[in-house]
Order: sequence, then C-alpha cells, then structure tokens
Amino acid sequence: MNFIDVNSVVKQYDGHMALDHVDLHVPQGCIYGLLGPNGAGKTSLIRIINRITRADSGTVMINGRPLEDKDITNIGYLPEERGLYKKIKVADEIVYLARLKGMPKQLAVAEMEKWLTRFDLTEWRNRKVEELSKGMQQKVQFITTVIHRPQLLIFDEPFSGFDPVNAEQLKREIMQLRNEGSTILFSTHNMASVEEICEKITLINHAHVVLEGNVADIKQQHKKNLFVVNVAGDKQVAPHENLFDVVPSDQHQGTLIKLCPGVSLHDAIAWLNENYTLTGINEQLPSMNEIFIETVQKNA
Amino acid sequence: MHNWLRFAVNHFFSNSFFCYKMNKLKLIIQHEYMTMVGKKSFIIMTLLIPFLILIVGCIPVLLAYINSSADTSVTRIAVIDESGNYGSAFKDTPNYRFMVMQGDKAVNAREFYKNAGESIDAVMVIPANVLDDQQATIYSENTIDQGTISMLTNCLSDTLARAKIASFNDPDLESKIEQSQVSAQVKSIKWNEEGDEQEQSAQFASVLGMILSFLTYTFVLSYGAMIMNSVVEEKTNRIVEVIVSSCRPMELMMGKIIGVGLVGLTQFAIWVVLLGIGYLVLGLVAGGAMAVSNPEAITAGMNLPGGTDMASGMVDSTMSEVMTALASINWLSLLGNFVIYFIGGYLLYASLFAGFGSAVDQASDSSQFTMPIILIMFIALYAGIACIENPSGPMAVWCSIIPFTSPVVMMVRLPFDVPWWQLLLSIVLLYATAFACIWISARIYRTGILLYGKKRTFKEVLKWVK
Repeated sequence: MNFIDVNSVVKQYDGHMALDHVDLHVPQGCIYGLLGPNGAGKTSLIRIINRITRADSGTVMINGRPLEDKDITNIGYLPEERGLYKKIKVADEIVYLARLKGMPKQLAVAEMEKWLTRFDLTEWRNRKVEELSKGMQQKVQFITTVIHRPQLLIFDEPFSGFDPVNAEQLKREIMQLRNEGSTILFSTHNMASVEEICEKITLINHAHVVLEGNVADIKQQHKKNLFVVNVAGDKQVAPHENLFDVVPSDQHQGTLIKLCPGVSLHDAIAWLNENYTLTGINEQLPSMNEIFIETVQKNA
Repeated sequence: MHNWLRFAVNHFFSNSFFCYKMNKLKLIIQHEYMTMVGKKSFIIMTLLIPFLILIVGCIPVLLAYINSSADTSVTRIAVIDESGNYGSAFKDTPNYRFMVMQGDKAVNAREFYKNAGESIDAVMVIPANVLDDQQATIYSENTIDQGTISMLTNCLSDTLARAKIASFNDPDLESKIEQSQVSAQVKSIKWNEEGDEQEQSAQFASVLGMILSFLTYTFVLSYGAMIMNSVVEEKTNRIVEVIVSSCRPMELMMGKIIGVGLVGLTQFAIWVVLLGIGYLVLGLVAGGAMAVSNPEAITAGMNLPGGTDMASGMVDSTMSEVMTALASINWLSLLGNFVIYFIGGYLLYASLFAGFGSAVDQASDSSQFTMPIILIMFIALYAGIACIENPSGPMAVWCSIIPFTSPVVMMVRLPFDVPWWQLLLSIVLLYATAFACIWISARIYRTGILLYGKKRTFKEVLKWVK
C-alpha cells in the first residue's frame, strides 16, 4: 500500500511551470529517492506534500485519504537550507519545534533528552544554537525533524554539511527510523547515497517525471551490455569484429567489453574461453550517477 | 440530550481541530514573547528609559538648586557714577558687593581697575546722560557672566523707570501705573446635561492629548519595526520554512504580532510602575532637601519681602488647577478609548510591517516598503499636533475618522468631548481597515517568506495579494 500518492499535480508561479502533471507513489515503509537537477521542481513538490503551499490542481493522498492540515504533525521536514533560531538555547529550540508539531510538553522534554544523549549533545543543551559548530547544528536540526516520530520524513539533502563519520551515523539513524515504520522521502543530488539507501526513485526534470521505479530495475533497464573481463597473465583482451568491442576505461584490472547488438553473452564467453584463459567476467551496471546524467541530458 | 450536549462540547474543546489550532497560536505567542522579553536590549531599554525620563525631568530643578544654594562666590563691582544720581540704586547682596563712587569724566575706568588690583572684579560706568541713553557699560579683564549683566540691567531699568515717573511730578502716578498692570484670564466652564458647571482646563487637556498621541505614534512605529526585523530575521536564517511546515503562515504572523504587542504592553506597564515609584522617591528626596535647606530659604525670603508666601501661593493655585483639570476628565472613557485605538492602530500598522517585511531578504532592503508607512505615521503625528489648536475643526474631524491617521489624531481629541457618532464611525473604520490590512498582509506574507534572491518592487508584492 502506498503511504503517499501524488496524482497529476500542477503548480505554476508567475507563468513559470514548476510542476506539470507530476505523479509520485511512495509505498509505506520505503526509502524513496526524489531526484532531479537544480530547479527541476523537487522543492515545489516537497512543499506541496508538507502543505507549505497548495497545488493548482491534482491531489495528494496520505494513507489513502486526501491530505489535510492536521497531517503536518505526522510529517517531519528537513529543508535543504537549514534554519534554526540562533539566539535561543538548544533545549528550548528542540522543545518549541516539537510542541509546534503537536507534542505535549513533557513528552517533548523526555524525547529531547533521549536524542541529545544519542547524538552526544547533552552538555550543549543550555548553550545558544549560534555557539555550536556547524556539524552540531546539523544534528540539532535532525533531532527537531524526527523528534515527534512522524510517519513520513522528508529529507532534503540530509548529508550536506556532515563529515563522513557523522554522515554514517545519520545514515544509520535513517535506516533505524525506516525499520521502526517511517516512510522516508529523500531528495538529493548525491547519487552514491541514493544507490546505498534508496529502494525506489522518481527523477524529475523540467517539471516532469522522466524516470521512475525500483533502483535495481532502473539499473537493469539502463544496462549497456558492458562486461569486465579478466584473463590469466594480466593480458588485455583484443576486440572481436563480430562479437564485442573494447571500451576504453579507467579499469585497473581486466578489460571492459561491450557486446555487439544481438550477440549473446554465452557466445562471447565461448569465444573468450577458446582464445584466453578466462578467470572472471562481471556485468557492469550503470551507476545512478550515469543514469541521472544520461536521462537529464536526453530530456534537456 | 444533556449528556449528548456535554459530550459534544467536551469533544470540541479537548480534541478538535479548533483546539489544536488555538494551541499553536498560543505556543507561538508565548515563544515570541519569551524570546523578546529575554533579550538584553529589552531589559536595558525597559529599565533605562524611565530612569532617563526622571533625569531629564530633574535637570532643571537640579540646576536651579545648584545655582541658588551652591553659588557662594562674591563679585565685587566698582560703580563710577558720572550722573551722580543712580549709583545708590545698587545695593549689596550675598553674591554682589558694590563700591559706589561719585565720579566725573576725569576718572579713567581702565586706570582705576589697574590700581584697584585684586580688590575688584569689574568696573561699571554710569554716564551722565544715562536717563536719555538708557545705557551703562561694565568693564573687566575677566568674562562677565550673563547672570551678572541681567541683574545689573534689571536694577538699572527699575531705577531709571522710577526716575522717569518722578520727573512727571505726579505723586499718584506710580500707584496709577501699578493699578493699570493687568493680567487677564479666560476661564472655561463646561455645562453638563443637567446644567451643572464644571471647570475645564483646555491647556491640560491638550497636553494630555498630545502625550497619548505621541505615545501611540512611538509605540506603533518602534514595535512595528521590531516585528519587521523579527520577520526578516526568520527569513534570513531560514527557520521560517521549518516553522511553516508545522503551522499556517497566518498563525505565525498573528502569533508574532500578538506576542510582540504583549511585549510592548509589558514594557509600558513596567514604565508606568517605575515612573510612579521614581516620582514618589523623588518627591520624598526633594521634600527632605527642602527641609534641610529651609534656613537658607528663610534668609532668601528676608531679602525678598513676601517672596516665600508668594511662591507657596502660586504652587497652591497651580495644584488646585491641576486637580480640577484632572477631575474634569472622564478617565474611564478616555482610557477605554485609548486602549481601543491603541490596539486598532497597532494591529493595522504591525500587520503592514509584517507583510512587507516578508518581501525582503535583509533588513537593509526594507526601506522602500517602510518609507511609505513611516510617512503616513508622520503625517498623522503632524496632523495631531496641528489639531491641538482646534480639536473640533474640520481637519481634526477628518483625520480622526480616516483609519490610517485616526489612532494618533483621535488621541488629541479624546480629552475634549467627541460626538459619539464620530467616535463610533472612526472605531468601526479603524478595525475594518486593520482586519483588511491583516488579510492583505497575510497573503503577502505567505508568499514572501518563501521567496529569496531578487529585490521586489511594490507592484510585484501587491500582486501576491491576489
């Protein structure tokens, strides 16, 4: 069952089309990647889902019913441009934002303590936010996003500004939240993190959905019949007129070959086996980065 | 039936959407209030301003006190009286000693001063034809202060005037002149509906009106600017996107306006209390000082026959005037109306400041939007000042009905009686306009807070209202 269904949403600003009949279907408990180049319409779509703005037409359904104002207590949003009140204390900030999301005060305080401990921020609780390092401010921002245990979490570029150690911790926390039942909508340019944690993606370009589906399926659809061939003696494989071409690459080990159209892998292996001592062959699937660039350029 | 009703009411207030919305507004108001009240600048301003007012109020009194009691220096003046008649008019006082010489042109003032050395500070020459020229001269190597010159001038003028009166050879003339000195007064009495007489002090009412008017003006402008800064700050540090993903932009804006307004009322209340305490303390201190310096006052009184009596009589009559003036004003309706206009004017202008504040990225870009607002406030203040002369004239009436000027101008008119229909019309218009401004500003605000980058023009911003 889908937790979020965006159906044919249109949004226009001053004659500029931000979203043109966009659909998005996020299954319950999924980590879903919302991808797209700058200005494609991701932020517009996110703002419609968390009811900061309204769609001109189209519907947004949550759990099978139309989205309402009161649903925003069930959404946690980490915007790309991070923002906190700088002049108030860390603890006050977290509790205020939690209560704005509808948490009772006592519960908000208890949860705040738990999260501060988890992120090693306990001793900073009575300091003003502006006194914290950027990394610590990012952690505070993350806490304010998830403290009210929302069923839907929207992260816009969550890893920007984190060092690798903290990014790893953040990733673990996101996985943990998913395992506890939250659905996660994840907007990013960082394709490596998409490959690592997203199960499904939607790619938006110029206000349209241009690609959509399971990450594994998309990779299969975009494969280019590329294989890395390793042969004994560290030799390079020469191209074959009818069977395959050798593609120049930065591979340190083995040769990257591209099968000619209509040639089966079986034939290529048979021939390689006859002429070389084949030690290994691996299909090379395109990275999400390549798929992203290719799709965006194709639709430019 | 009864149970059903109770269930419905309970459900509405405990669990409904209404309750959830009200809670958020309350939470935002509370947050805005606490943040602002906790600021160092607020605490300093709140404590400092009454202190400054008291000091400024005390300066003239202090100066007068220092002048009269602390000045023990003695100025010695030699008077060379060429006329031979008027030198005797200069009598010694605690601060002045005179050395009068019947002189003639042979005495050179410069040489005399030199020869006298340290024993005199100045030489005054009264020429022979002083009665016609009405001029004397004082020489010194030191600077002669204004107090000395005006004392000498007064003394000489009095003497010459008396000499002129005497030259008419009319023994009754002096008393005739005295009797013809008139200081007329027009007393204003107001009839109430029963025909009872009530004395009213137009001057006092004007001053009161002006104070209320200026108070409204200052408060609305300074707190309006505060709201604008707060809106721009939230936008600059990007918290606003987080907040509006938790509540409606309208709630945030109204929470801010109400929260900051309550901060203003708090500051106002603290000022009133502090000023009251300061006034009492000063009164006690001044009373004590008077008792201590009483012997001096008595000696001063001996020099000026009847001086103390006259002074205390004057104080008594001023006090009673103020008391009748205070009693002649309908305080309940005055303060009630003041609060009504104060809130209406604040809502009107604060919402405009919030709306237009949302259209800029930095406070420094806001002047193009604040200028027109400040200009209107200025016009209101000047109209208010102009209306003091004639609080029932056409300008006063119009400006106190037009909503943008009425909160300031009506304050000037309130201590005088305003026809009820004008009051009603003005209040209805003010609140209708205030709510219209809130509506317009809310629409500008919800678009403005999410847009960054480009500087917007007035026309573009007004398009967001649609």
